[in-house]
Amino acid sequence: MSKNAKIAIVDDEVYIRSLLEQTLEDLDGEPEILTAANGAEGLALIERERPQLVFLDMMMPLMNGYEVCAAVRKNPALADVVIVMLTAKGQESDRVRGLEVGAHRFVTKPFDPDEILDLAREILGSS
Amino acid sequence: MIKAEHYLKPAWVRRQFELVLPLLPTGSSAALQLGGKRLEEVNEAGHDLIEGVPGVQAFPLTLEGERVGVLLLCLPAGSKIAQTQAWGGLLAHTLQGMLETEHERHSVARETLESYREMASLQRAVTNLNLSLKPATVVEALLKEFDGRAADYGAVFVCAVDSGNYGLERSFGKDAVQAFSQFKNSFLFVDMAAHELGDIVNDLSSSKLWTGEVPDFRSLLWLPLIAHGEKLGLLVLASRRTEGFSAADLKRAQMLSAVAATALRNAQLYAAEQKMFQSFVMVISTAIDAKSPYTAGHCRRVPEIALMIAETVHHADSDQFAGFVLDEDERNTIEIAAMLHDCGKVVTPEWVVGKANKLDSIANRIHLIALRFEVLRRDALITRYRALADGEGQESVEAIYQERLRQLDDDFAFLQKCNAGGEFVSSEHVRRLESIARQWWTDACGENHPLLTENEIYNLSVQRGTLNPEERKIIEDHAVHTINMLSQISFPRSLRNVTEYAAGHHERMDGKGYPHGLNRDQLSIPARIMVIADIFEALTAPDRPYRQPGTLSWAIDIMHRMKLDNHIDGDLFDLFLSEKVYLTYARKHLAANQIDEVDTSRYLAGREA
Repeated sequence: MSKNAKIAIVDDEVYIRSLLEQTLEDLDGEPEILTAANGAEGLALIERERPQLVFLDMMMPLMNGYEVCAAVRKNPALADVVIVMLTAKGQESDRVRGLEVGAHRFVTKPFDPDEILDLAREILGSS
Repeated sequence: MIKAEHYLKPAWVRRQFELVLPLLPTGSSAALQLGGKRLEEVNEAGHDLIEGVPGVQAFPLTLEGERVGVLLLCLPAGSKIAQTQAWGGLLAHTLQGMLETEHERHSVARETLESYREMASLQRAVTNLNLSLKPATVVEALLKEFDGRAADYGAVFVCAVDSGNYGLERSFGKDAVQAFSQFKNSFLFVDMAAHELGDIVNDLSSSKLWTGEVPDFRSLLWLPLIAHGEKLGLLVLASRRTEGFSAADLKRAQMLSAVAATALRNAQLYAAEQKMFQSFVMVISTAIDAKSPYTAGHCRRVPEIALMIAETVHHADSDQFAGFVLDEDERNTIEIAAMLHDCGKVVTPEWVVGKANKLDSIANRIHLIALRFEVLRRDALITRYRALADGEGQESVEAIYQERLRQLDDDFAFLQKCNAGGEFVSSEHVRRLESIARQWWTDACGENHPLLTENEIYNLSVQRGTLNPEERKIIEDHAVHTINMLSQISFPRSLRNVTEYAAGHHERMDGKGYPHGLNRDQLSIPARIMVIADIFEALTAPDRPYRQPGTLSWAIDIMHRMKLDNHIDGDLFDLFLSEKVYLTYARKHLAANQIDEVDTSRYLAGREA
């Protein structure tokens, strides 16, 4: 894992941000973990910090996850940002829509901490 | 383990420093050391900010009575120590308060994450436990949930359906099989087997039922596997330390065991169904074989050849067979289809199945004809004596008599040859049959009859083999009967192709076979394999009524002609030869005198590599 890895968490639920952040603290290499509490803030954070990995909630105020994702994908400078969608909905059409706007993976809430860690290791390890 | 360095964010700490430092003399510096790491430092004066260095004030930070970090302050030389102490104390207090809050929050979050983790693991386990319909796989999946996590040792004992005895089905741990075999001899095991509820034994040495059968076992968790009110087995987990299992472990094990028991029950029921079905198939196939002693073992050997060929096709590199995969379902389908391919023969009269001679009906009627010839021989003898009595010349009488006997013997020999069906019967032969028939014999009632009946002539005139067209139709009908019979069986999805594979074994690649006249493109690969397996078995069978057991080279030569005739699939036949499937089979099933050298290069020559 690269030494200066950055991971962003964009979710309006404070407990999800907190739990995800704590989960990611178990990663080696002490990646920098950044958080944002809504879509607009999240997009600004991603554009500013260019994290390698973003955990992005689908349903958020101001800008939902799809819109943030689509905006990130439109920006060539952010082409390397891997987006993992967080969703409380398991519906297939949501996943399809997420993939269409450029999400790489899906994680359903409540998430499995081990799955999050494996995913982060896989993505950061290969970046 | 407390990871205090994660509790405070450097930015937040810096903000605290920036709030306090202006209150201190200009040139003061501050640093926070947490969990052995320098988290933040504001040190414009370039002080040597290390604990123990003279002039550096240290304010320890603790969590749960343990020191987790230190706040370091350094003021310009000549500053008041009391002031440093007061402001440093306030800053340390703020940091300490935040640390404690964060510690609390992390602990709560850790618990939550643990339950998330548990939930995910249960979800995975429930899925895994229901992945398979094989009892062994279910048991393995159950043990996997504990292996290397909750327990040092684990085992599942399964109750035998008939005897009710427990047998060790699967286990994990160091020398687990031996350990659990010992364990099974303990009174404790007997006691467990008699109970309907599981429990934890925190310290085995305190149990009266335990005499240290396995020294490594110090504590236990055990649960019966119960489904539909029936006890199917026992889950036993063991730990090398006392109190190795908590109430939470028991709860988790209970939940997993309940799911596993249901899955195990389903798997056992499914296995029983499978077994029953297989025994039905076996009954039908042995019935067919038993019906005709001449083809005994055919239904047993054809599946073996068919599977050998299928295995070879599965491993062949050739593109022609790329779509063919011999997985477990396909293997079962082919085996069952091959066992049942002749099931229609149960309705074919056995005198047709085993018709050795043209005049065979229920009996071989050649003996009737032989009797009539005997009548004619005696007629000749009587004629001879009468002529002698009438005073005719002895020499000429004797010559006529001998000529008559010779003619009768010759005719009868001809009939016997016709009857055997080994040679082609030409129209000339038929004319001779008719002329033989025009001799008359007188029965006991004094009535005259032709030497051969219409029906006897009809049967003896069969050009090839022994079967007349009606009988051939009956034989061919067995394929139709096979289809009709198999269509009535509602095969599960995994065996849905049995009928197609079984029904095609008399079809030909050129579409001239029976019963449907399907051609190569209309026949699946397994159906085409079945054609070859059926023919090869029939040609090499040790006992057929119409000929001696054939040699390997003879059988392969005939099959090669069948390939050229577009009767059997050429690609499959080539593979059958090149991979020496015929030889593998022959070595296992044929008599030594049948196995001769087969020059496969003759048949494979000119084939594209």
